Amino acid sequence: MKKVTVQDQGLVEKTKCHAAAIGVAMKESVYPLTATVQYPRQRKKMPDNFRGYILFDPDKCINCWECAFICPANAIRMKEAPNKKYYPTIDYGKCIFCHFCIDSCTDSALRTTKIHDVAYKDMDEMVTLTEEMIEPPEIVREDTKLVEYQIDDKDLQITKTREVDNLFVDEVPPSVEIPVVSQCIDGASCIGCHVCEYVCGSGAISSSIANGVMNMAIDTDNCTGCGLCVKECTMQILKLVRK
Amino acid sequence: MHDADIKACEEVIKMATEAAESKWEIKVPDKPLKDKLYFENLKSVVIDTEICSRCLTCAAVCPGGIIVVGDKVDFPDYETKCLDCGACVRVCPRFVYEPLSGMGSSTAFIAGRSKRFAGQDGAMVTELIVSAMEMGIIDRGLFAGRNENWETEMFHVRDPEQLAITTLSGTKYTFADVLPELKKAVKFTKNGVGVVGTPCIVSGVRKLQQEYPIFREKVKLVVGLFCTENFHYSAISQYLRDKGVDFSKLVKTDITMGKFIATMTDSEVKFKVKALEEILPSGCNVCCDFTAVEADVSVGSVGSVPGYSTISVREAIAVKILDYIKEQGYAEFGEGDPGQLGFLVGHKKKRAENLKK
Ligand SMILES: Cc1cc2nc3c(=O)[nH]c(=O)nc-3n(C[C@H](O)[C@H](O)[C@H](O)COP(=O)(O)OP(=O)(O)OC[C@H]3O[C@@H](n4cnc5c(N)ncnc54)[C@H](O)[C@@H]3O)c2cc1C
Ligand code: SF4
Ligand code: SF4
Ligand code: SF4
Repeated sequence: MKKVTVQDQGLVEKTKCHAAAIGVAMKESVYPLTATVQYPRQRKKMPDNFRGYILFDPDKCINCWECAFICPANAIRMKEAPNKKYYPTIDYGKCIFCHFCIDSCTDSALRTTKIHDVAYKDMDEMVTLTEEMIEPPEIVREDTKLVEYQIDDKDLQITKTREVDNLFVDEVPPSVEIPVVSQCIDGASCIGCHVCEYVCGSGAISSSIANGVMNMAIDTDNCTGCGLCVKECTMQILKLVRK
Repeated sequence: MHDADIKACEEVIKMATEAAESKWEIKVPDKPLKDKLYFENLKSVVIDTEICSRCLTCAAVCPGGIIVVGDKVDFPDYETKCLDCGACVRVCPRFVYEPLSGMGSSTAFIAGRSKRFAGQDGAMVTELIVSAMEMGIIDRGLFAGRNENWETEMFHVRDPEQLAITTLSGTKYTFADVLPELKKAVKFTKNGVGVVGTPCIVSGVRKLQQEYPIFREKVKLVVGLFCTENFHYSAISQYLRDKGVDFSKLVKTDITMGKFIATMTDSEVKFKVKALEEILPSGCNVCCDFTAVEADVSVGSVGSVPGYSTISVREAIAVKILDYIKEQGYAEFGEGDPGQLGFLVGHKKKRAENLKK
């Protein structure tokens, strides 16, 4: 068996360490530094892409249903609005805050916020209707301090500033996706039903008839690459390709 | 990702981009009734004149899927819902109807019996589709199966093991919605689709292939069935019930030697097919094609001894598949006798006269 002995650091070093420990103890008794955030009087600073309460902008929605299709928790139901379009509603009783819906939303009609503390009285209330998603929900704010954690190479630094955080992400950072546009890969198989033209929200697809021939065209400058026409084409002859 | 993968991805993207175009043309089909919707044209030329064969080529191609199919082809609110694209009149084999008849370009006439499967006769239809799947020519075959009430249901067979469902093979004397399902199959297939159908369905497939390259590319094997007539489900099921057929015990329906035979687990009901003339669909009454002349290969029961299927071979692809079946020893083969078909071919040819009426 091998005996492990403590390394002798020498008297000077030992005294130094003890003095430092006493110093920290004295500082803590005067100005204690806790890692716990004193919510709700203090709030932790969240990153801009925090997955919180979801906001919706009907003007940007192109009615593609992509959010409802992708939601793994089946939390999104599309409901008909007075203008005959279908808009999402979210059941927060089911939502797992994965934000797939936001990621899938082609025109940023769905947006995240840093709000994570909405309270409901019962399950029914958690079904959030479209109109309740347009404006941020009412929350009680008692916070006066903003807590920020920073981890440097040695230690966890906690800074607390007298500041109230903005919980809305006003500017959605521009997407860094590869720009794509819709193109036809088999024009001869087109039946000329115009469904692509009807569904295109940006008017990029046009058609005209002359001398018994219908001419279809996609304006690649106007096409946003949302893929709605690709999904709706009954003959599956449209594809998204790199711009 | 590995460099090789990235390269492969780039290749695919490049290929897709090269084939893509932002401008294309479509020929607009002629309208006999100029100021009417295309569906009204189809209705007045084919449906109202009662020459519609219920092949459902129109329903398969209609972009909204709004042509509904019960016993008859219909489109209740066409005034508001028809997109007026004209796809239906482009593909309807009977819009400009030139009845086909005879044997087609038959290169060989043989009898066969599958050792692996059980079917109506020699199960050669099932054998052809499954062998084509094994050879990698197709990745799915469309079968008209049935439920316990003998209503037809379409199945995509992607693995021979699925044929453990014994109701997939065997003849159902009611229309099946083959072509709307073919449209779906074309969407999902990677290699190609094999399809089985009566002569009207085969004509529909050919028309789709003639008009739209996507069907030319994806439908690799077309197996035709010999056919004198088919029936609407409501009519034939009522008729058989009146004759005392219990559908829960029914295992096989067959027409041989001029007799309709319904075999049940404990008994048999037999009567002359002629008696069925009163429920003969009007579309079949003007159909002159007995052997599905446009199919790659046609299969039927007349022309060979009982227990064998008669195979009329036309296209090279069918020869290739039959060679493979022989090589693997999947089936026994014998001689077919085209002479025996003479009567039925002639009988159907005479129906051209009904067309004039
Ligand atoms: C409506 C109808 C009428 C027929 N009339 C005659 C006739 O008068 N004379 C004659 O010699 N042969 C006729 N046949 C063909 C014959 O009954 C057999 O289908 C043929 O011999 C093939 O037998 P098999 O054992 O090789 O096929 P199987 O291996 O049993 O396979 C039969 C195939 O037919 C398909 N099928 C069955 N019913 C239908 C349907 N209603 N619509 C589309 N596909 C279907 C099944 O999906 C299956 O793929 C008719 C077939 C049908 C469907
Ligand atoms: S966050 Fe996730 S679970 Fe919630 S609605 Fe969006 S997709 Fe569905
Ligand atoms: S939408 Fe097109 S295919 Fe459908 S009925 Fe109208 S014209 Fe025919
Ligand atoms: S014959 Fe076929 S394509 Fe023509 S109307 Fe009848 S079902 Fe439709």
